[in-house]
Amino acid sequence: MSGHAGPAWLAELQAGFGQVIRTPLDRSTGTLRAATASYRDDFVREIADSAFGDAASRLAVYNRQYWFRLFTVLQASFPLTARLFGYWAFNEVATRFLLAHPPASWDLERMPDGFEGFVAEEHARDPALVEAARLDAAWRRVFAAPTVRPYRPTTADAARLFTSRLLLSPAVALVTESFPLVALRHRLASERAETPAARPPALERPAWWALVGEPGGVRHVPLEPREAELFALLDALPLGEALARVEASCSDDERRGLPERARGWLARSVQLGFFSGLAE
Amino acid sequence: MARDPVQRWAPASTLTGVTLPADALGLGLRPAHYPYLFERWPRVDYFEAISENFLGAPGRTLEKLDRVRERYPVVLHGVGLNLLGHEPLDEAYLDALCRLADRVDAPFVTDHLCWTGASGAAHHDLLPVPYVPELIELAAERAAYVERRLGRRFGLENLSSYVEFTRSTMSEWEFYTSVVRESGTWFMLDVNNIYVSSHNHGKDPDEYLASIDFSRVLEVHMAGYTTEPDGSFVDTHDHPVSEPVWALYRRAWERGGPFPTLLEWDAHIPAVPELLAELEKAREVRA
Repeated sequence: MSGHAGPAWLAELQAGFGQVIRTPLDRSTGTLRAATASYRDDFVREIADSAFGDAASRLAVYNRQYWFRLFTVLQASFPLTARLFGYWAFNEVATRFLLAHPPASWDLERMPDGFEGFVAEEHARDPALVEAARLDAAWRRVFAAPTVRPYRPTTADAARLFTSRLLLSPAVALVTESFPLVALRHRLASERAETPAARPPALERPAWWALVGEPGGVRHVPLEPREAELFALLDALPLGEALARVEASCSDDERRGLPERARGWLARSVQLGFFSGLAE
Repeated sequence: MARDPVQRWAPASTLTGVTLPADALGLGLRPAHYPYLFERWPRVDYFEAISENFLGAPGRTLEKLDRVRERYPVVLHGVGLNLLGHEPLDEAYLDALCRLADRVDAPFVTDHLCWTGASGAAHHDLLPVPYVPELIELAAERAAYVERRLGRRFGLENLSSYVEFTRSTMSEWEFYTSVVRESGTWFMLDVNNIYVSSHNHGKDPDEYLASIDFSRVLEVHMAGYTTEPDGSFVDTHDHPVSEPVWALYRRAWERGGPFPTLLEWDAHIPAVPELLAELEKAREVRA
């Protein structure tokens, strides 16, 4: 912070203005309207009536702008979640989220932070919604990740590769789905609808993906179950130990082909830039 | 004789290596433009980037800005400085803004004469204050500080506003011109905003224009507005520039041109050729 603060009356006035702006929009008529009757009288008296309406109706312009701007950013940040809810219901959840977590940063892109947790808490009994919010959050995270140089093992690394932990790049996220949401998200991206999208039936068995942030966007890489298990273990274990754990959980048949398959997974993951380096 | 307001008044310490032609025509840079830009590299004098889109942005976003900067001058336009928030300015924000301005070697940096948040809450809107002498001093001191921190010309943009405060004791233009004069900073004059606010508050836009010292105008913004059902105007940046606003622009040009002119379009963004055609109207209007 720099310099001195403004006068006390300005602080009071801005607090009153902020309260008006954040007044939730009224949903009772089936459209979103400014609830001008809820505005604080003492603040409304600060505003002059105009040729286009009284003071409260003029303040309503800012009140509506606040909510519609934030709804739009949340919808764009959580597009799959928004479509599974449908925009009308999504905006209601968004309102509760924003009342509980009003934006605090000049960076509008940070406003949606934590929304997936909010959905998970509010809609714990709806696994598709919870999963959709997690997928959107993962997608958002890798899209915004800093650019890091992909790790390419050198011959000098060979000796310690199996005893070190591979660091997953910040531009990569591993996601599990019980519903075919990655494909649905991709399909819905080309639609402009606001209505609730049909819920897909649950998958017979979970599927795993790696989301990889690239200069042109986010690549969706399907993972084999054992491959996903290995990469998940790499988060906490050195490579050799993670491979041993996977091997221990394999059937005899699987175990025979594991070394070759693991080499293939690791070669592809390195080629796609899954890792940023080795932990010291 | 053609004047160069960008150069003429700038103290040597705030001059950077990059300057714009005095009559430059520029476009507000938006992500939707990248595919066209990177393929065609159209003829545009400069681009204006929204500062907050790049402050703390991931590397790939900054790399796109760098690519644009390799071909065009880039000026910065902020929406998050919060010049008139009651709390002191955010030094971390200013640090990041200085780094970004250095990265693109911005000929100038601008933001709004407004507040955007208070008491720890960010409202993400450009909000007006009462126009009173006490706030001239506050805004001027802060604006001058920002210019010193940037080491570049810093311009203040006038708002589109939808309310007037009962405690205001002067007009918006008296407040605006006083802040620029007392701070020694610059006008970033939005002609559409003059038109919108004048309409909403029953003021004469030409009286507004007459108050401006055009030798201190860094840049003029043009954009489209929306008419609400009650007849008031809202600055939405989602339409072509209206005819009355072009007419006001012509009168501004007659009063104080040449000045760099920038077209902003933020929603329902048309293809770049359409934007360029809209921008070209500026050249026709001022011919």
